[in-house]
Amino acid sequence: MKRTYRRKNVIVRCGADLFLPLGCVFGCYVIFHGNTSPGGGFQGGVLVASAILMVFLGHGGTGVRSTFRARLLHSSETIAEIMYVLIALLGVFTGLNFCVNFVFAGHEWETSVLMNDVVGYHVMAGIICLLIVMLNTLDEDDLRKDENRQLRSESEEEVEEE
Amino acid sequence: MSAFIDNFPVLAVMTLFVGGFLNSLVGRRHAILQKIVVLVTVTGALAMVLALVKPVLMDGEIITYWLGNWEPVEGWAIGIALEVDALSLFFGLIVVVAVFVSGVYSFTYMSRDDSLVNYYTLFLMLGGSVLGLVLSGDLFNIFVMVEIMTFTAVALTAFRSHDEGALEGAMKYLVVGSLGSTFLLVGIAILYSQLHTLNLAQIAALLPEQSNNPLMGVAFAFLFIGFASKAFLFPFQPLAADAHAVAPASISLMISGVLTKCGVYGIIRMCYVLYQNMDLAVVQYLVTGFGAATMFICVTMAFQQHNFKRLLAFHSISQVGYVITAVGLGTALGVSAGLYHAMNHTIFKGLLFLTAGAVQHQTGSLDLDGLGGLSKRMPRTTVLFLIGAASISGLPPFNGFASKWMIYQATFRQGVDTGNFFFIIVCVLALLTSVLTLASFIKVTQSVFFGQLPEKYKDVKEVPLLMRLPMWILAVLCVVTGLFPTQVQNWVLLPATNAVFSAASYIDAAMGEGYAALHNVVSSGVTSLGVSTCWSPLSWLALLFCVTCAVTIVALLGSPDSKEESHVSAADETAEELDPKYEPFFSGEESVYSQVGGSDLFWGFKHSWRKHFTFWTNWHSGVVNDYTLYGVVVTAFVLLACIFVL
Repeated sequence: MKRTYRRKNVIVRCGADLFLPLGCVFGCYVIFHGNTSPGGGFQGGVLVASAILMVFLGHGGTGVRSTFRARLLHSSETIAEIMYVLIALLGVFTGLNFCVNFVFAGHEWETSVLMNDVVGYHVMAGIICLLIVMLNTLDEDDLRKDENRQLRSESEEEVEEE
Repeated sequence: MSAFIDNFPVLAVMTLFVGGFLNSLVGRRHAILQKIVVLVTVTGALAMVLALVKPVLMDGEIITYWLGNWEPVEGWAIGIALEVDALSLFFGLIVVVAVFVSGVYSFTYMSRDDSLVNYYTLFLMLGGSVLGLVLSGDLFNIFVMVEIMTFTAVALTAFRSHDEGALEGAMKYLVVGSLGSTFLLVGIAILYSQLHTLNLAQIAALLPEQSNNPLMGVAFAFLFIGFASKAFLFPFQPLAADAHAVAPASISLMISGVLTKCGVYGIIRMCYVLYQNMDLAVVQYLVTGFGAATMFICVTMAFQQHNFKRLLAFHSISQVGYVITAVGLGTALGVSAGLYHAMNHTIFKGLLFLTAGAVQHQTGSLDLDGLGGLSKRMPRTTVLFLIGAASISGLPPFNGFASKWMIYQATFRQGVDTGNFFFIIVCVLALLTSVLTLASFIKVTQSVFFGQLPEKYKDVKEVPLLMRLPMWILAVLCVVTGLFPTQVQNWVLLPATNAVFSAASYIDAAMGEGYAALHNVVSSGVTSLGVSTCWSPLSWLALLFCVTCAVTIVALLGSPDSKEESHVSAADETAEELDPKYEPFFSGEESVYSQVGGSDLFWGFKHSWRKHFTFWTNWHSGVVNDYTLYGVVVTAFVLLACIFVL
């Protein structure tokens, strides 16, 4: 069965398209400056993950499905977790302790930056995965409602034609 | 910089976590790769923790490890620490051995389930979190690990969600387990607000000075209830029963052998090292009282279960009650008895859960009333089960005997030394519980392994070798730790008990020499356990044998009636058709399946204790609201006790 869906209102679509890159850039900013300013990996990751909500608002479930690949995101979440541990382990293999700042220790630019970035990556992937799962449950009902409405309006039109 | 071996605690924890993550990355497509990852991780963690035995248990070092080299400055520990003393390592060893055995067992046991990626990921994370908990030197990290532990355990409980009651059990565990975690968090928050530190060693140094601060009593109550809920002590035991009955057997092993030990570890660490208040009578009453109540109530509940694993679950909590009872005595003998029993509990209860899993794997049923006669089809499993059952009931050559003997001795001596009748009652209660345990295991043995084999289980086969291997490891451990109690005491229990009683060296290891003396924390440690020597397991075995023979002879020679009966029942087993009961003249038609049901063995006893049994059965209502209410009421009670008395 071919699924039909209604395009969203043009204002919503344009608004979503406008704010989507802004949200992503701001989220990345928060992640990358996590070591020097308020925020950090977790908060920035959630901000970037909010992109999926923008896509959903502007383009509906179909837009989300064609943009994001849940499997890939799930794998990247895992990769981020492993990378975090590996970066932490670098401290051990340089002869210092676990989680130690060994790159330019004492400067602003340390391993904590890398850890922040990895946490951001992890949270981004994880939250998007969660949201995809949640939106999938929402989306089905939404679609069905939309379809019903469309069918009803079509039949009404048919009646009018007769 | 210190030796590389100091990295092993954190590496062992991280190995388990990374194994879980790697498994979810590569295990989705390749089942072989998945098993390799799991095997390598659990073996790696086991090897790393075993490598710590030499420096920590034998040489008595305390390994303190500061993550990111954030060492304490001017007497304030801000960084996150891992602190491994003999007590932590003792529990760490229990954890890694259990994780190893459970992981190997899962390979065959879980082979018929799908989405094993999720199973192994959660399983390894559970193992890592528990190991992290016992090795941690930071109160907040303990809370984080408790949370990971609780949620992975809940998810694994619900893993076979198609089974009846799996989601229900997991839901109850989630709700009431979260209640326990929340109490733990409240306790930690109060401590942090008053002492401004989360490091265990620094808290241990600062706490005794605050003895006039009533908030410390409040924190004690919350922490105690939090850890008690993780050990499923008295008001929380229905959760364990519901969770165990539906969880896979390998996870039951983890929940009973490892998760409950976290609660025990938490209580020991809190009472002896942080608060150092075990010499107060009220704390002894509190901890021992909870332990004794758990021990007795759970065994009465276990006595009347009809589900194999639900019965084992109640027994498991009953044995944890023994541990807490002994720990609450506040003496070196009590603590060492508790630790010994904690170790033995993991071994024999793990063995019993694995045999239950084997029965479930081969027959698909855990119903005690429906099973029977499996000893003919699964002889090796039967032998393993009998070893486990003899251990948990405290029969002589096995480990349960040695530790229970120490517990009786410790409680009795405490009663004699203090002249307090309470401890004598506890000692009698412990003996009674042991008898009831033996009785209910006779019931299980009769119901599952002996008696008549039902028609539908005619083709049941023995479990494969890969499943028997972990069970044999545990069975051998049962025998070895039971036959050589003196060696176990000298090599394992004495260092661990010494660590329990030397808070000062725990503090000094983390905060620098002299910090404990600065805060007037003095502890002497323990050099001998003071166990009386007349407890050679082999001579007790000989005594048991003699007594059994004597009783049998007396019973056979006694009255002619009993002789007649025993003759008839022997005839029953050999030739069914001789039984006139089933001849058409007497009863119409032959019953298809008849045996003495395991549940009917003790009907007289059950009848005379029916009020007690009915009360406690009704108390376990199965409604999660009730269980939450019990938890809250007990918390209120402990809070009142701690505020007004402590």
